[in-house]
Amino acid sequence: MGKILACERASAMDAESETGVVTEEKLIALCQQGDRDSFRLLYQRYQQRVRSTLYQLCGSSLLDDLVQEVFLKVWKGLPKLKKPKYFSTWLYRISWNVATDRRRQLAKGQEKTSLNERCWEKEQLNYNRLSDVQNTPDLMHLHYRDLVQRGLDNLSFDHRAVLVLHDLEDLPQKQIAEILNIPVGTVKSRLFHARNSLKKFLEQQGISF
Amino acid sequence: MSNSHDRNRNNLVSFLRHNQPIPPEPHPDLEQQLIESLEPRTHSRRYLKTTWTIPSAIATGFLFTSIGFAWKTPRIALEPKDLENFLVRNWQNTLNNDSQTALEETEAYWLLPTVSEPQPALSVSAQ
Repeated sequence: MGKILACERASAMDAESETGVVTEEKLIALCQQGDRDSFRLLYQRYQQRVRSTLYQLCGSSLLDDLVQEVFLKVWKGLPKLKKPKYFSTWLYRISWNVATDRRRQLAKGQEKTSLNERCWEKEQLNYNRLSDVQNTPDLMHLHYRDLVQRGLDNLSFDHRAVLVLHDLEDLPQKQIAEILNIPVGTVKSRLFHARNSLKKFLEQQGISF
Repeated sequence: MSNSHDRNRNNLVSFLRHNQPIPPEPHPDLEQQLIESLEPRTHSRRYLKTTWTIPSAIATGFLFTSIGFAWKTPRIALEPKDLENFLVRNWQNTLNNDSQTALEETEAYWLLPTVSEPQPALSVSAQ
C-alpha cells in the first residue's frame, strides 16, 4: 500500500516537474488514500489563505489552534469529498464553520480564559505593532492597517465574512454563496452594506475615497 | 454617477487589500505537529474488508447450496453391479424382521395376506 502511494506520489512529482504544478485533483486523491506527504503539500498550498481568513474573522487568539482544527477536519472529511474541484469551496466552508464555532464560544463566554486571552491578544497586538514600527518606518501604512482592523471589528460577523471573502480573499460571489450557504442576492446585499459601513467608518477617521 | 460610484468602490477595495491586517506568523512546529496528529486512514482497510467479505459470503453460500443439492439429488446407479447391490440390500431390508414394524406403517402392509388371522369364509346359503 505504502509503495503504491509512493509510486503515485513520484508520478505526481514527475508531472509537477513537467507542468510546474501537481494537479490539485491528484493531490487530493493521494490524500484521500492516506498519503500524509501529499497532505503536507496541500497544507502548504492553502494554509496562508485559511490563516488569513481566520485571522480576519476571529483575531490572533488561538489562531494556530484554529488553523490546525480546520486542517484536521479536512483530513478527516477528505474521503467523503466526491468532487475534488470543489475542494477550495469546501475548505473555506470548514474555515467558516470553525470561525463561527469560535465566535459562539467567545460570545457565550464558555471559555474561562477568554478575558485573559483578549488581554494577551491586545498585548500581542501592541507588541506586533511595536516590532512592525521597529522593522518598517512606514507609520502611515501601520496606521491604515490598524484602521482597517478596527473597521472590520465594527462590522457584524456576517457582513465581515462576506467582505473578507470577496474583497480580501478575492472569491467570486457565487462561491461565497456556496460557502456560506446563502443566496447570491444575500451575498450582494451584505457586501453592499458592509462596504458602506466600512467606508463610513474610514471616512470618519479622515480617509476619503 | 455610476462611474464615480464604481471608482469609489474600487478605491475602497484596493485600500482594503493594500492595508489588510497581516496574521502573525505560525508557530514553527505547527506544520509538523499537524502532520503528526493526523489519524491513520482506516477507510481503505475497511473498504478492502468489505470488498473481500461480500464475495466470500457469496462463494460460501454457493458452496453450501451445491452440497445441499448434491445430497438431495437421487444417485443413479450407472454400473449394473451397483444396481444389483442396491436391489439386494433393499430386498434384504424388506424381508428382515426388524423392518416389520416399519413395514406395518406402510400402505403395502395392508395389501399383504396375513397368516395368523384367517379370513372368514364366505358362505352363501340359500334360505
